[in-house]
Amino acid sequence: MPTRIFHWLLAGLILFSWWSVKNHHTDWHIWSGVAILTALIFRLLWGLFGSSTARFAAFVRGPAAVRDDLSGRWTGIGHSPLGALSVIALLTAVAVQVGLGLVSQDEDGIYMGPLARLVSSDTSDRARDFHELWFNVVLGLIVLHVAAIAIYRLRGRKLTLPMLTGRAALKAGIEPMRPGKWWAALLCLVAAFAIARWVVAGAPPFGS
Amino acid sequence: MRTRLLAAAAVLTLATAGMALAAASLPRPKALAIMHERHEGMETIGKNFKALHRELDASSPNLNSIRTSARNIQALSAKASHWFPQGTGPELGKTGAKPEIWQNPQDFVVKMRDFQAEARAFDAAARSSDLALIRAQSSDLGQTCKACHDKYRSDMHH
Repeated sequence: MPTRIFHWLLAGLILFSWWSVKNHHTDWHIWSGVAILTALIFRLLWGLFGSSTARFAAFVRGPAAVRDDLSGRWTGIGHSPLGALSVIALLTAVAVQVGLGLVSQDEDGIYMGPLARLVSSDTSDRARDFHELWFNVVLGLIVLHVAAIAIYRLRGRKLTLPMLTGRAALKAGIEPMRPGKWWAALLCLVAAFAIARWVVAGAPPFGS
Repeated sequence: MRTRLLAAAAVLTLATAGMALAAASLPRPKALAIMHERHEGMETIGKNFKALHRELDASSPNLNSIRTSARNIQALSAKASHWFPQGTGPELGKTGAKPEIWQNPQDFVVKMRDFQAEARAFDAAARSSDLALIRAQSSDLGQTCKACHDKYRSDMHH
């Protein structure tokens, strides 16, 4: 369940980030970015200490498994080996986007990302340019991601409902998922908030 | 036939004259020069504001640097009234200035004057050594930049 909450929260926050910056709500845009940062840190920790299907070590597989997946031989629950590549690509792209945003400043110098003080003004301006460009990469991966869901759907596999309910039919002989501990989720969340708080404060010894 | 030809010629002459008139109000090289000055001026204001923002966030802000930025911004803001004559919008060339500027001249002038007044107020505040006042005034100044840019500047990529 934490993984699913993360997913839909991330989708909502990316949408909100896009909307807020298009409508000149730069302050909301920055806070939305900080929220995404918090969610990303949580997901990273949950990928180490979370449920069996959330752990990167369990679902990120090698090229042989991806080939099996492509030829329809893969059986299992959670992210498929091919889907795992998509997960990694999306998480990395969003992390890069957040990183660029943290050190950016707006065109007029009114707003600064929480870590913009750690770099020069010119670097912040350049980071903003890349932040704008990189959004196209994020958008491209989202389009690919949604297209993949649609293709699975056409082939008769409905993936969206399990992403909402967490329930999927289990084939015979497949081990069911092992849910994470609630206190592990809580600890990951507290750690994520603490790290994000530290970043908002301006990082190392709290600003320059 | 002859009259029709004459009429057509008359219309053509009038149209050409009309275009010449519009162009005569601001010759193209002059308009382009103003557009260029506007771009450079706005960019310099931005650079000064960024430097100022960073200085104010530093643990021990350098007042001299803040005063220089304030003076630069104030001096450029006084010139800004001349940066938006009719005919220097997107019809002339690549610019972030939206056509709405010339569709709402009254509102635009009000926003321009707000900016100029805040630039003067900020310059005055910067001469004091009251950092709280300087911070408050810089924030007010920033809001006058934003008020105009949100409405009258397009998301131009440069």
